Amino acid sequence: MSETTMDEGHISNADEAGQGHEATAVATESRETTKSAAAPAADERLAYRSIFQRMFVQPEIGAIIGVIGVWTFFWAVSLNFGTAGQTQNWLDTASTLGIMAVAVSMLMIGGEFDLSSGANTGAMGILFILLIKEVGELGGLGISIWFAVPISFAAALLIGYLNGKMVERTALPSFIVTLATFFILRGLKLGMSKLLTGQISVTFTDEASGYDFWQPIFAGEWIRNEHIWNSRDIFYLGFAIGGAILLALSMCEMHFVRRETKSAAGFPVLGAGAAGVGVAIFLMHTTDGVNANALAAAVLGVSVLVGLIGLGMWRYEPVESPGGIRLTGKINMRIAIGVALVGAAILASFAIDSDNAETLFFPFTVQGLRVVLMMALGGAGFTLLTWAANLALRVNPTTKLAVSTIMAGAIVAFGFVIRASAEATKFRTELFSVFMFAALGIFVWSVMSVRFKERRSVDDGADALGMKGLGLGIFMLVLAVILRHLFVTQDELDAMVNPARFSVRMLWFFAFTAVMAYLLARTRFGSWTFAVGGNAQASRQVGVPAARTKTQLFMIVSGAAWLVGMLLAFRLSSLQAGAGDGEEFEFIIAAVVGGTLLTGGYGTAIGASFGAAIMAMSLVGIQSARWNTDWRFVFLGVILLLAVIANRYIRDQATATRR
Amino acid sequence: MKKMMRLLALLAAFTLFAAACSSSTADSTATGDDDTETTDDGSSDDGGEEEEATEEDGGDDAGDDAGDDAPEEVDAAQGSDLTFHMITHSDDGPFWSVVNRGMDAACSDLGVTCVWVPGNNDANVMVQGIEGAIGEGSDGIAASLPDPAALVPALQGAVEGGVPVVTLNSGANDYQEIGALTHVGQTEFIAGQAAGERFNAAGVTHVLCGQQEQNNVGLTERCGGLEDTFSGTVTTGFMDLDADTTAQQAAINAAMAADDSIDGFLGVGPVITLSGLRAASDLGRDVTVGGFDLTPELLGEIEGGNILFTVDQQQYLQGYLPILQLFLFQTNSNTIGGGLPILTGPGFVDASNAADVLALSEAGTR
Repeated sequence: MSETTMDEGHISNADEAGQGHEATAVATESRETTKSAAAPAADERLAYRSIFQRMFVQPEIGAIIGVIGVWTFFWAVSLNFGTAGQTQNWLDTASTLGIMAVAVSMLMIGGEFDLSSGANTGAMGILFILLIKEVGELGGLGISIWFAVPISFAAALLIGYLNGKMVERTALPSFIVTLATFFILRGLKLGMSKLLTGQISVTFTDEASGYDFWQPIFAGEWIRNEHIWNSRDIFYLGFAIGGAILLALSMCEMHFVRRETKSAAGFPVLGAGAAGVGVAIFLMHTTDGVNANALAAAVLGVSVLVGLIGLGMWRYEPVESPGGIRLTGKINMRIAIGVALVGAAILASFAIDSDNAETLFFPFTVQGLRVVLMMALGGAGFTLLTWAANLALRVNPTTKLAVSTIMAGAIVAFGFVIRASAEATKFRTELFSVFMFAALGIFVWSVMSVRFKERRSVDDGADALGMKGLGLGIFMLVLAVILRHLFVTQDELDAMVNPARFSVRMLWFFAFTAVMAYLLARTRFGSWTFAVGGNAQASRQVGVPAARTKTQLFMIVSGAAWLVGMLLAFRLSSLQAGAGDGEEFEFIIAAVVGGTLLTGGYGTAIGASFGAAIMAMSLVGIQSARWNTDWRFVFLGVILLLAVIANRYIRDQATATRR
Repeated sequence: MKKMMRLLALLAAFTLFAAACSSSTADSTATGDDDTETTDDGSSDDGGEEEEATEEDGGDDAGDDAGDDAPEEVDAAQGSDLTFHMITHSDDGPFWSVVNRGMDAACSDLGVTCVWVPGNNDANVMVQGIEGAIGEGSDGIAASLPDPAALVPALQGAVEGGVPVVTLNSGANDYQEIGALTHVGQTEFIAGQAAGERFNAAGVTHVLCGQQEQNNVGLTERCGGLEDTFSGTVTTGFMDLDADTTAQQAAINAAMAADDSIDGFLGVGPVITLSGLRAASDLGRDVTVGGFDLTPELLGEIEGGNILFTVDQQQYLQGYLPILQLFLFQTNSNTIGGGLPILTGPGFVDASNAADVLALSEAGTR
């Protein structure tokens, strides 16, 4: 951020003078120091941060954006990804990976590693099977599952306890100590299996005592094709649309200044907009064909705009003099380059013959070049335009609107190009609607910002209401997705939809993540975890029981390994001696993709679970897109790199804004 | 309480077992007798001479080998001074444990000392294993060749140093370059071709060939052989490692869901074959599944009619025959196979013979 820009920021804020006019945009250090020096009266801890800024400094945001991005990407390039069957598929993979990633990420926040975690998952499953396997010459101990579950759990906790104690007593790096544990467990798995059963894989049957009770707990399934609900889509659409509307309203509530006295003049406009949205949805639902749907989409776009303006007229303080468009040289340059790049992307797309399927040089085809050109040029162009829009925001909302309109136009044009070349470039035509919605959102939001005053100060009432709305909106959207995934309609059955078997493993994953997220964020134990990971010596000096906290973290990891071992054992009824070996690095990678630092002291449990989801989605997505699997690790490498860079950027932003 | 005691006893036993394992090399060398040191110092020729002179007693296993050579005098109890090293890319999975048993059986039958060096799919570890064996003055090296480029020079070094080499499992294309006595294994390409014929006979049109490792020449050749003889379409892909069966199954599931025309699955290993079967049944698809190698679970599915066939390369022989060849070479300068590889496969296990093989497989020798 240069000096000039900052000056412009000051000018634009000057007329809205108020105590909290600092942190207008993402603040840099220098800027904030000068500000607080200039206005010492304001309590810097109460500095107002807009809804976007608040969202952006969540440590999980990188992983959340990653999940959405990777999902959208694979959805766009394959016809199968996004169906209930494949969603179940990657969620299932993410479950066992995610449980471990969350636990491992807790331990990493606490500043330690556990290289035995992968082998431990298999070891716990094998121990469990050997305990319950029927007695015989080559058999197990034949004890009831009722006893085997607590015994194996106790064994897991013991392993974690020993790991922790060894790290504490020897003062060696946990990397070394747990590496030893890894080899010991690995050897024990093979040795025990061979000694007891003469096989290197151990198996048990459903005759084990207590099987009927425990099987549904660790391996219960919800088979989608057995749950028919023909009116599912009505509820699905209802919740999805309701949730989307709630999200939009809550964002407005948290972003704009509320009027002292509400104005009834907004109601008719709001009503007209709402009616328009209704008509548009009805049109989309009942008509078929490109023209009719285009008309419906146009109606929808206009109605959303009208409706939100109506909402604003009713509730929010209008802007008296929005000011004119003042484009600085910097903005102009960025718009010019951005538009030129998007234009080049579009030109490139048209210049390359869509029927040309030649291979340029292995493995690059003409159409591959086309995709890469479109994505690279388009991506660079939109990045520059976003940059220009951010600069414009510092000038005034009108300028922002002007830039945003250009950007929305570019997005619409790009969407049409995607649609036209969808077949050759292997993109879904539905991607078109995503581009249209993105353009609509950007445009409408900019119009709102011109018409209504953006809040620059804390308003607890509005924020509380907005947060409630956001929560409810997200809940409704999630509910809509869940309904759609759990139930099947007769039409889908007739069309031979692939069955999806949602396993209870996912519930374990969600529950475990929730509990760990709570522990980490809301309890003393969580604070201690951050403390010992950030600086163990300092934390000890202020009275944190560092050794105990670390031991408990090791026990959490081995407890999680036990859970995964149970899930694996009940899933397959048999386990290979090598099960889980080498997986520990996948756990660490998932945690890092989810924003956990290798150096400790920073990270979240939820982020790690999203990291696991990203890895599982790439595994399944590459198969769904029918890519050559030889290149799979190239893709994984790129994702890892992007994730780490994005997380680093977000962390810098967060630490800069949060002081 | 009793069970708890048993459990504790078992755990204690394991600790001892693990401890014993870790020092197995030292132990096995020592089993011979007091002239351990002589073995280390003296050349292998001397060892052979000594044996012929000394033994006469036990002889229970000696009958296995034609009585006209030196082996008849060799005795398991007394032991010979010969030490053979088997260096493989073994991950100690179901396949390699049977090879290991074949090696153990040959060594106790012949009364020689054998050292099992699993490389866990890491060519570097294998090279170190080979160099270590040469350094210890091994009397013969049996090695698999998953990665010829890395392993051929090391084995050539062994041959140049006067240590006889037999290749096993994968390596049919490179054993002559090394100067190995012979190769014991199945030609992966031919095995894949035979699998292709089976799919043709079953009327399958599109086979997914799933691999559980990415850089294994043998596995690639299996899919290549399938492509060669199969009359329909073949899609080949890496479907994640055996260590993570959840991910493996998910990958196969996604690959099958992405293409409705897939009606056949060939897993080039036993674990991935079962993953493929589970993925197909999760999708509710009627997929003809074929596999490679044997495990009790896989044989059970063949017996139950869920898997059509599995290609059996009789890996027990791949553990047994190299040791036998090395032994015969060291004691009688014999070579088997006339310069050609000794094929242990492909044999097939299908519904007709699954029950018989299952019984042997549970005993761990098939």
